[in-house]
Amino acid sequence: MADNTPTLVSGEPQRPRAQFVATGFAIAAAAMMIAGALAMYMARRHASGIHPGSEWLNGLKVPNPQFDYALLTLYTSIVTAHWALWASRRRDTAHAWTAIATTIVLGLGFVNMVIYSLNRMELEIGSGEYPNLAFATTGLSLALVVVGLIYLGLMGLRSVGGSVGQHGSTPLGSAVFFWDFVAVAWTATWYAVYVVK
Amino acid sequence: MTGTNTDMATAITTSEDPTPFGWLTTADHKRVGRLYIVSAIIMLLVGVLLDVIVRIDLTSGTDFVVLDGDSFGQLFALSRETLVLLFLIPIFLGFSMYIVPLQIGAGNLAFPRAAAASYWVWLVSAGVLFGAYIGNGGPYGGNSDLVDLHMLAVGGLVVGLLIGAVVIGATAMTMRSPGLYMDTTPPYSWSALVTASMLVVSLPVLLGQLVILYVDHRYGRVFLGGNFGIWERIDWLYRAPQLFMYSVPVLGIASEVVLASAKRRVFEPLAMYFTIGLLGLFGFGAWANFAITNEGSDIIDGAEGIVLVAMYGGALLAITGLLALIGLALVQTLMQNRKVPEITTSLLASLGAGKFLLTGALCGFIGAAVDWLEIGDRGNLGNAQLRMTTWVTGQQSVMIYGAGLLGVLAAVHWWAPKIWGRQLNELLGKLNFLVIAGGAFLASVGPFLSGLLTDQPDFVYQDPSMTSIYSNLVDDSGAEGLSALGLVGTLIVLSGVALLLLNMFVSITLKKGMEATDDPWSGQSPEWLLSSPPAMGQLAELQDLSSGTPLLDIAEAEEAASNG
Repeated sequence: MADNTPTLVSGEPQRPRAQFVATGFAIAAAAMMIAGALAMYMARRHASGIHPGSEWLNGLKVPNPQFDYALLTLYTSIVTAHWALWASRRRDTAHAWTAIATTIVLGLGFVNMVIYSLNRMELEIGSGEYPNLAFATTGLSLALVVVGLIYLGLMGLRSVGGSVGQHGSTPLGSAVFFWDFVAVAWTATWYAVYVVK
Repeated sequence: MTGTNTDMATAITTSEDPTPFGWLTTADHKRVGRLYIVSAIIMLLVGVLLDVIVRIDLTSGTDFVVLDGDSFGQLFALSRETLVLLFLIPIFLGFSMYIVPLQIGAGNLAFPRAAAASYWVWLVSAGVLFGAYIGNGGPYGGNSDLVDLHMLAVGGLVVGLLIGAVVIGATAMTMRSPGLYMDTTPPYSWSALVTASMLVVSLPVLLGQLVILYVDHRYGRVFLGGNFGIWERIDWLYRAPQLFMYSVPVLGIASEVVLASAKRRVFEPLAMYFTIGLLGLFGFGAWANFAITNEGSDIIDGAEGIVLVAMYGGALLAITGLLALIGLALVQTLMQNRKVPEITTSLLASLGAGKFLLTGALCGFIGAAVDWLEIGDRGNLGNAQLRMTTWVTGQQSVMIYGAGLLGVLAAVHWWAPKIWGRQLNELLGKLNFLVIAGGAFLASVGPFLSGLLTDQPDFVYQDPSMTSIYSNLVDDSGAEGLSALGLVGTLIVLSGVALLLLNMFVSITLKKGMEATDDPWSGQSPEWLLSSPPAMGQLAELQDLSSGTPLLDIAEAEEAASNG
C-alpha cells in the first residue's frame, strides 16, 4: 500500500451525499425548533382559557385571504424550485437559471406578503400575549424562509454556474430539499397561529 | 484490512500551520477536537467551583451563607449551564471530532470549517454568558438588558453545539471507508452518531422557546413575569431524562475500553448498537418540559406519569443490557483464558461510569414511580414531589460527576496517546478514579437523602427577593447535615478535576508522561493503526477498511495460523 496519492481531488467533492445528509440534520433541527416554539404557543393559548370566548386575540383580526395567498405563493415556489432541479439534472442551464430566479422572486414575494398581512393586522409587539407569541413564531418561520432563499441562491449559483449535471445538481437538490421543508414549517405555523389562532 | 494501511493513513494531503495563528484558523479535526476537550475541562473546573458555592448556601436551613437571594438564583443557574452546556456536551463533541474520523477511516470531518466555526461560536458565546452574569444578568438577574444577553448567549451556545452535532452526524453517516458498514462501526463512533442525532432533535426545542422568551422579556413581559419565568422554562435541558442523552458516549467509551481490555468481541454486536441507541431515545427530555406540558401542570399525573416511568425503565434496561454484554466479555476472558485483564485507569473509570449511569437510571425510575403512584402522599398534603426536591440534584451529580466525569477520565486516559502522543500517569489516574468516584458518590447521596427525607427543594421558582428562599417559603431545617455531605462530595470532585488537570499538565505539557507507541493498549478499533499522535493536517483516507476491529482481526488470524 505505497500509493500516497491524495484522495481528495480539488473541485471534485468525493462525498456529495455529505451535504444532503447534513441538510437533513439541519432540517430535523429546524423542525424541532419550530415544533418547540409552536408547542409553547399552544400551551400558552390553552392556559389562556376556553376558546372561543377568551380575550386571546384582544380584538385583532387576522386577514385570512392575504395569508392564504402568501401560502399559495410559497407552494408555487416549490414547483419552480423542483423545476430548477429538474433542469439542472438535464444540464439545461437556461431553464435552471429561469427557475431559480423565479423561485427567489416568489420567495421574496412571500416574505413581502406576510409582512404586509402583519401590518394590515396591526400586530404590535409588546401589546399582548398573542402578539408577542405570533411575532416570535412568525419571525422564526420567516427567518427559515430567508435562510432557505440564501441557500437556494448560493447552491443555484454553484450548480448552474459551475458544473451542471447529475453530479453538480446535488448541492441544488439539498437546497430544494430545505426549501420543501420551509414550506412545511410555514404551513404548520400558519395553521397554528393564523387559522386555529 | 491489513496493517499496512498505517503508511496510507499517515500520508498527509494538506499540512497545518504549526504557529498559534494556525490554531486560530485551523480546520483540522484533530486540532478542533483538542481545543474542545481542553476548553471543556477548564469549564468543568469553573462549573464545579460554582456548584461548591451553591452547595455552601444549602448547608444552612434558614439563611444564605455567602450569597444573597438574587445571586443564589443566578449562580444556581450558571452552575448548571456551565456543567452541561460548557462541559458535558462539548467535551464529548470534542472527543468525537478527534476520534470519529480516525475510527471510520476518513481524512477529516465532513465539514471541517463548520467544525471550527462550531468551536469558536461556542467559545465566544461562553464568554458572553459569563459576561452577562457578571453584569447581573441571567435568570433572576437585575439588569434586564443583560438578562436578554444571557438568552442570546445560551442561544449562541446551542447553535455552536448544534453545528458540531450536525458535522459529527454527517461524518459518521457519509465519510466511512467504503467497506465499513454501520453495523461494523466501532462502538464509540456509533454512540457519537446517536448522541449527535439526539442533540439535533432536542437542543433546537430550547432554541425555539428562547426566541419566544427573548421577545416576551424584551417587549412587555406579558406572560413571562419578569426575570423569574425564564429558568423554569429552560431547566429541562439540565435535568434527567435529558442528561441520559449527553451520557450516551460514555457507553461507547466503556464498550471500547472493556472489549479491548478483554481482548474479545462483543457477544452480539447488534445488541450493543441497539442498547446504545435506546439510551439516546430514552434520553429525549424536551417533552418533559414545563413550557410545553401546559405551563407547569403536574406532568407526573396520568398518562404522562406512565410515559416518564416507562422512559426511565427503558433507560435502565438499555444500560443494564449493554453493561451485561460487555461484562460478559470480561467474564469470558477470566473463565476461558484464566487471565485477568490489565487493570488500567480507563477500565476502572469505564466500569465506574457504567455503574453510575445505572444508578442514575435506577434513581430516575424510583423517583418517577414514587411521584406517579404518590407513595408517601407525594404531591399531596404539602409533601413535595421528588422531582421538585434535591432528589434531582442527586441525579444531576450521579450523571454529571459520576457517569460523565468518569467517562471523561476513561476517555482522556485511553486516547491520550492518540491525541497528545503521551500516556498519562497511571498511578495518578487510579488515584484520580478513586477521588472522583468517592466525591461523586457523596455529592449525590447527600441530595438524594435530603430530598427523600426532608423535602429540601431543588429550587424555588419564584422571586427570591420576595420570598427569601430558605427562610419563609421553604423550611430546610433537618437537611443541613445532608447538604453538608453533598458539599464535601462536591469539594472532593473539585479536587478530582484539579488532579486530572495536574496529570495532564505533568504528563503532556511537561512531557513527563511515557511516550506512546502506536497501540499501547492493544486496542481493537482502526485509530490504533495510526501513529501516536497522527500528524497534523488532513490524512489520506483508509480506502479498504472493512472492519471496526481490524487489529483484533489480525490478532485472531495470527492466533489461528499459529494453532495450525
